[in-house]
Amino acid sequence: MRRLVAGLLVMLLAGCGEAPPEGQAGFAGLGADAEGFRQAGPEVTLRFPGDHGAHPDYRLEWWYLTANLEDAEGEPLGIQWTLFRRAGRPPSSLGEPGPWAADQLWMAHLAVSRGASHRVAERFARGTAAPRAPEARQAGVTVRPFRSWLDDWTLASRSEAPGADALDHLAVSASAGRGDDAFGLRLALDAQGPLVRHGEAGFSRKAEGGQGSMYVSQPFYRVAGEVVLDGERVPVTGRAWLDREWSSQLLGPGQAGWDWLALHLDDGHKLMAFRLRGDDGDVLSGSWIAPDGAVISLGPEDLRLTPLATREVAGHELPLRWRLALPERGLDLEVAARHPERWMPTAVPYWEGAVTVRDRATGEPRGVGYLELTGY
Amino acid sequence: MLEFQGVHKAYATPQGPLRVLAGVDLTLAPGESLALMGESGSGKSTLLHLAAGLDLPDEGEVRLAGASLASLGEPHRARLRRETLGLVFQQFHLVPSLNVIDNLRLQARLAGRESPGWTTHLIERLGLAGRERHYPERLSGGQQQRLAIGRALAPRPALLLADEPTGNLDETTAEGVLALMLELVHEAGSGLLVVTHSPAVAAPLDRRLRLSHGHLAEPPP
Amino acid sequence: MTGLGVALATLLSHYRRHPAQLVLLLLGLWVAGALWSGVQAINASARDSYARAEALFSSGLDTLERRDSAPLTRDDFIALRRAGLPVSPWLEGEIEAAGGERLTLIGLDPLTLPGDGPLGPGGARLGAWLSPPWQTRVAPETLAALGLDRETAPGAEPRLADGRRLPPLALAPSLPPATLVTDLAAAARLLGRGERLDRLVAPAGELAAAPEGYALTRAEARLSPGELTASFHLSLTAMALLALIVGLFIVQAALGLALEQRLGLLRTLRALGVPGRHLVGLLALELCLLGLAGALAGILGGVWLARALLPDVAASLASLYGTEIGTRLRLPWHYWLGGLGVMLGGLFLAGGGVLWRAARLPVLALGQAQAWRGRFHRQLTRQALAGAGAATLGLALWAWLAGRAPGEGLIAAFALVAALLLAGALWLPPLLATALAGLGRLARPWPLGHWALADLQLQLPRLALAMMALLIALSANLGVGSMVGGFRLTFLDWLDRRLVADLYLAPPPARLEALDAWLADRPEVAQRLPTASGDTTLQAVDGAASGRPVELFGITPGERLTATWPLLANRDGRAPAWTALAAGDAFVNEQLAIAEGITPGSRLTLAGPDGPVRLAVTAVYPDYGNPRSQVLLATPVLHRRFDARPGGLGVALRPDADTAGLTAALAERFGGEVTVRDQRQVKRLAVDVFERTFAITRALNALTLGVAALALLASLLAQGRERRRRLAPLWALGVPRGRLAGVQLAQLGGAALVTGLLALPLGVAVTACLVGEINVAAFGWRLPLHVFPGALAVTLATALGVALLAAALPAVSLWRTPPRALLAEEDSP
Repeated sequence: MRRLVAGLLVMLLAGCGEAPPEGQAGFAGLGADAEGFRQAGPEVTLRFPGDHGAHPDYRLEWWYLTANLEDAEGEPLGIQWTLFRRAGRPPSSLGEPGPWAADQLWMAHLAVSRGASHRVAERFARGTAAPRAPEARQAGVTVRPFRSWLDDWTLASRSEAPGADALDHLAVSASAGRGDDAFGLRLALDAQGPLVRHGEAGFSRKAEGGQGSMYVSQPFYRVAGEVVLDGERVPVTGRAWLDREWSSQLLGPGQAGWDWLALHLDDGHKLMAFRLRGDDGDVLSGSWIAPDGAVISLGPEDLRLTPLATREVAGHELPLRWRLALPERGLDLEVAARHPERWMPTAVPYWEGAVTVRDRATGEPRGVGYLELTGY
Repeated sequence: MLEFQGVHKAYATPQGPLRVLAGVDLTLAPGESLALMGESGSGKSTLLHLAAGLDLPDEGEVRLAGASLASLGEPHRARLRRETLGLVFQQFHLVPSLNVIDNLRLQARLAGRESPGWTTHLIERLGLAGRERHYPERLSGGQQQRLAIGRALAPRPALLLADEPTGNLDETTAEGVLALMLELVHEAGSGLLVVTHSPAVAAPLDRRLRLSHGHLAEPPP
Repeated sequence: MTGLGVALATLLSHYRRHPAQLVLLLLGLWVAGALWSGVQAINASARDSYARAEALFSSGLDTLERRDSAPLTRDDFIALRRAGLPVSPWLEGEIEAAGGERLTLIGLDPLTLPGDGPLGPGGARLGAWLSPPWQTRVAPETLAALGLDRETAPGAEPRLADGRRLPPLALAPSLPPATLVTDLAAAARLLGRGERLDRLVAPAGELAAAPEGYALTRAEARLSPGELTASFHLSLTAMALLALIVGLFIVQAALGLALEQRLGLLRTLRALGVPGRHLVGLLALELCLLGLAGALAGILGGVWLARALLPDVAASLASLYGTEIGTRLRLPWHYWLGGLGVMLGGLFLAGGGVLWRAARLPVLALGQAQAWRGRFHRQLTRQALAGAGAATLGLALWAWLAGRAPGEGLIAAFALVAALLLAGALWLPPLLATALAGLGRLARPWPLGHWALADLQLQLPRLALAMMALLIALSANLGVGSMVGGFRLTFLDWLDRRLVADLYLAPPPARLEALDAWLADRPEVAQRLPTASGDTTLQAVDGAASGRPVELFGITPGERLTATWPLLANRDGRAPAWTALAAGDAFVNEQLAIAEGITPGSRLTLAGPDGPVRLAVTAVYPDYGNPRSQVLLATPVLHRRFDARPGGLGVALRPDADTAGLTAALAERFGGEVTVRDQRQVKRLAVDVFERTFAITRALNALTLGVAALALLASLLAQGRERRRRLAPLWALGVPRGRLAGVQLAQLGGAALVTGLLALPLGVAVTACLVGEINVAAFGWRLPLHVFPGALAVTLATALGVALLAAALPAVSLWRTPPRALLAEEDSP
């Protein structure tokens, strides 16, 4: 069975010489044309809590949680919990979907890391945009109450006080492996600040051609709970960052991938910055987020993001040390991966890991965060 | 051409070793013909086998075309046999699966010395013209021995060794075969060593020697 | 042409003059090769099918079913997934192609199947699998059933018998034959399953225990088809090896003859100056050329033979083990190379002796073409000694096997049979020679008889090999034939006693209760005999740990059943054993008893749903045809203590019951839902399975005997001319030709009779090995040793018939030879 499945998947992935393979546009096909889907744009108005849910009329979407944690002895740990949604075709083109319709594909990633240890798991599910009770879905997202899941991996609201945002108090849990190999997490997240809209009121421009995504974050979580790693239960506390992003055409055709940073600075500021690497030059963008949630969008003129050193990880040459400067704010930071071995050997492979932030001049610690590198 | 020096040869028998040759000296010049006579069991055939390199002496030396046979390896001796000697046996030893012409050419082709003109000439002279495609079993005894002689002479060997070549033939046939052999040996320019017990066969040759009790001697005239 | 070329041409010219020898050689190689490589082709092809079937079904997937026997649905799948269990939905059903062929359609979900993650850079292509119009994966050999070929298949959407179309095809050579694989959604549509599922599967061992309300079948509980059928293929291989050996006997006989007749030529060539080493090299080259030609012909013949036999093999495998193999050959490259290697290896084994003798040929013994026949006596002594060695080896193997638990040492048992056959074959020529010498002394007063015996002694060196081949073939034939015949008797008797119900009903689980209730009210029903089945693991026998997967089977020990049901061993008699079964004790089948050393009185520990279940064994029963170990319980006990699935329902009728009426009423009440088979039908089906299973054995057996007959005929034909030459003087002395021909027939007939007589005890010994050791090891059941006098007579008659047939042709040719020609032949050298 394994062999058949492996063979089948290899054939599927390799195209196996039948239907000509679609042109590979951008990382994971994210630059592909998006006919029939809604497009993200500055004119789209965000409405919550509705927009915390799934947007099946957009091609791609994710609920992306990373957390910088430490155990009772202060040893750092990192976790990632992500739910991806990808629409095979727009809901408007659906005929009569059968019970096993697969017009929406779901994928979830789980990673728990400490020191040299980096454990990763992924899950998949089929779904449909057609109406169906939540109990009849292997994966999905509901708004009232907020609940996102694939199998038994869930990210859901713990309590919803009137007037509070649905994402203010969340519980996340997931586990994988068995026995000594088991790893997972069970964490409570409590937001200490408001929801943050990036870019132009939530539209984050990714390419000159107008491609981009709707991009909202909740970067102010305090975290407490328990992580399981190598079969051992570790009580942890720390900070987490949730990204919500949906789009039908994330990248321009010539863009190969991105380098993305989300930093918790010790002074209470949050900093998001990304660089999209393209054939015709890079797109640089970011957000400077005050402790009260006020956002200042950063453009190429405000932001310097320079790789300082690369290193080979899992056969890929990756920039794991960066200089991040906001000259106007007198900020000159050096951001470095805590550990290089954070490659995600998933069906869509990438690098995702915790970073430390230091002042470039003095070397003083200034914060922690997460770095994501794709398309290498 | 052929030289024996102090050659001894004995065979193990149940009754103890049987001395066949006890110090034989013999020289045969190129083109010379010699009859080797003696009683049955006197060792004539042994001497012939030693001359052909089919067997080796216990003592002494046999030289053929200047080479000491004992010092050569089997492949060399075989080559010398192929290229220098022609052999004619009492039992003919034709190849039953080859026809007349292929039998005739066999040794010449093995030696890589086939000459079509000479072959055609031989066929004519042997009286086998018109029977080239016949197989040996359809030939009479005389014809078979003529074919065997032709096969031995086809590569124009330097020396023809014949072991009782007419022993299996009736008297009239034997005379004809013998005369033909001598003529052809002459035409080919070969030397000749004939082992025979028949004075009639020995008579026309240049020299005659008699083997008895392991020694060679001139025959009584 | 070089000197070597001339020498080779001269050597080969022999075959131009004696084409029969060449034909014989090639024929021997061809026949031996065809049988061997044919069986190998069948095995290779079947193995390929197994590998693909295992890749699809068996390696490492546990399956879940609902305990309440309700069908699985999507709700089960989603509930289990959301409880964190790694299950995957699976649909499997039959569809009918437009041409009427039935194909298995499998629907699967690549997203949850264990394996590597499917989403990735090629996600768009995964879309082609997951979304309409979907895709159908199919192995190339299945295309014919869909009326397509390799060129037209990709992308085609063939129509099914019901008019619907399959999703576009894509070729997948790694799939098993007659199997289509498509996405779950497409399969659900084609099979009309809606939200229903046929199975939930999980990676082996991933589930620690069955979830509440579900029954778990571990992957290892299901034997893979490869394991199941290994013994079957081993038996085929052994028979093919036998055929190869017999064929090589022919080859060696022909080669020996060809060399013997060329001894003079070899010596002449050496006298003419071709070195001895060259000659041996040339003979080896000749052997290679002949070998290549013969082996290629043999392999091609084998492929043809395999094509002819494969459907039979496929049918017997399907009925015996329930494994599907393709009926079209699929041969890997190593098959061809391996076949060539074995053939050439065998040829050199057969020809090695000939080369060895040629190499040691004394150049001076010119004209003594009979030289090696003088050595025949020494050879006889050596053969007798070697035969004693083989017999000793056989004894040692027998002693070793006797000291072990039955069923262990399949290879050793085959080796024992080989040693027996070899010892018999090696002893045959010395035996014949001794017999001839003795008879010769006795026959002194009768000149012609005396001459015939002396002459036969002279012929013996050449006849010996053919006679040895005949002996081996006869013994194997008798051995296998008696085994099959004995099995048939035992099996039929067993079937009679075991099939106690008059009707066998197979209702869907959901309808079982209704059916049972309905039957309870029918006046013609004497007794209802519900069965049940399940799977579990045997944890321990008398406290010794085991871990063997076993099948659980529940029967109803009613009056009808207990009276006849066959038992092999029981502790206190039949009746108490049945009482104990009804009270909760267990019976085990012979396979399990042999494998685990279980006897009545043993105590078993089985894995139950709520912890270990301990059972006492009160009887062992024969269970022919079942590849698995089985524990038998009373049906209510099985339901109470294990996760049992309700099985079929046997119905015993009152003596004067109207069977047809009941069947009709059943059909009316339950429609097509309940499959009804009457006892006769079941029996016919079982016997049919049996016959087909052994059809292939019989075919191979007959072919081997044919090869041996050919060997004998070939040897006689090859020396026909020489025989006539030897007979000529007798004719000249005044013996009429008719008597000469008769003498010849008598000579061979006598030799064959001795061979046949020797084959009798040898064949019985082979049967004993087969039923006592090989069957036990291969199938797990022991059979009583049956010796059929008829079969013995047939063996003798076959020996005589083969020999007389082989002697007849030369005799006829002698009869027709003009007397003068006999003497003419005598004249020529």
